[in-house]
Amino acid sequence: MHIPDAFIPIGQSAVYWLIALVFIALALKWARKELDEEKIPLVAVLAAGIFAIQAFNLPVGMGTSGHLVGGALAAILLGSPYAAVFILTLVLLIQGVIFGDGGITTMGANIINMGVIGGFVGYYTYTGLLSVVKNTYLSAGVAAWFACFIPALAASVEMWIAGTFPLVPGLIAMGTYHAAIGIIEAVITAGAIYLVTTARPDLMKTSTEAAT
Amino acid sequence: MMETKKFVAVGLVVALLIGVVAVFLASSDPDGLESTALVVQDEKTLTGPAPEDGDAEAIGAGTFEYEAPMPDYSLGESGGTPGAIIAIVIGTILALLVVFGVGKVVTISKH
Repeated sequence: MHIPDAFIPIGQSAVYWLIALVFIALALKWARKELDEEKIPLVAVLAAGIFAIQAFNLPVGMGTSGHLVGGALAAILLGSPYAAVFILTLVLLIQGVIFGDGGITTMGANIINMGVIGGFVGYYTYTGLLSVVKNTYLSAGVAAWFACFIPALAASVEMWIAGTFPLVPGLIAMGTYHAAIGIIEAVITAGAIYLVTTARPDLMKTSTEAAT
Repeated sequence: MMETKKFVAVGLVVALLIGVVAVFLASSDPDGLESTALVVQDEKTLTGPAPEDGDAEAIGAGTFEYEAPMPDYSLGESGGTPGAIIAIVIGTILALLVVFGVGKVVTISKH
C-alpha cells in the first residue's frame, strides 16, 4: 500500500509529514532508550528481512498481489509500537529514495499508515488478545491481520481527502484486497515470530512463553 | 540459544535468499492500492483480473516527480534479471546498514 507521489497533493503531503515527524522523534527516543550494542545488530537484521520480504509479492486472487508490511512483526518482537515506526520509517526511506517504491512527498503518509497505524494496531491488538487467549501465534496472527487491514482503510480515507479515490468504492476495494493480503501478513508474522523465538527466546519481550 | 553474530549472519542470508527468490517468483499483479486505483478508474472489476496495460497512477493529480536510481527494484530495462537481483541485494544490505547506523548514532552519547 505504498502511496506514490501522484496520489496526494503536496500541501496535504506536508501535513502527513509533520504528523509523521512527531512519531519519528518518539521512535528515535524509543531507540535511544531501548537499543544497545547487543540489540542494534538484531534490529538491523530484522529491518533487512522486512525489506527483502516486502519485495516478495504474493498473489491473493482478484488480479491483485500483496506482501508483508511488517509493522505488527516489529512491534510484537521488540515490544513497542515505536519499534515498528523506527524500522518501517527507515525501510520506507530506502524504498522511496532508492527504488521509487512509495513517493517522497507521500512518505509521511506511508510512515503514518504502515509504521504508526500498523505498529500501534498490531501491538495493542496483540497484547490485548494475548491476555485473553494466551496464545502467542494466534494473537500475533490476528494482530498482524488488523495491522494490514486498518492502515489500508486509513489510506483509502487519505485517498478520498486527496480527491484520488471516491470514499465508499475506495474503502470497499482497499478493504477487500487488504482483508486478503492480511492473511499473508498474519501467516508470515506468526511464522517469523516462531523462527525468531526458537533461535533467540530472549529477544521477544511480549510473549507468554518468553518468560519461561 | 543462537549467538548474536550467528543470528545476524543467518538472518541476513535468509533475507537475501527471500529477496533473490522474489525476483523470480513474486507476483506481477498490482498491489492492493494500485488495484483499487484501477477499480475506481473502471479499468478493473473488484474481483476481476488486472488489465494488461493498466496505469494505476493515471488517476493521481499530484505534480511532484522523482526519478529513483533503481526504479521498481531494477537497474533499468537493460539490467534484466541480474539487475533486479543486484538491486534487491543492495537494498537488503542497505536496510541492514542504515538501521545499524541510525541505531549507533542515536545511542552514541548514552554511555
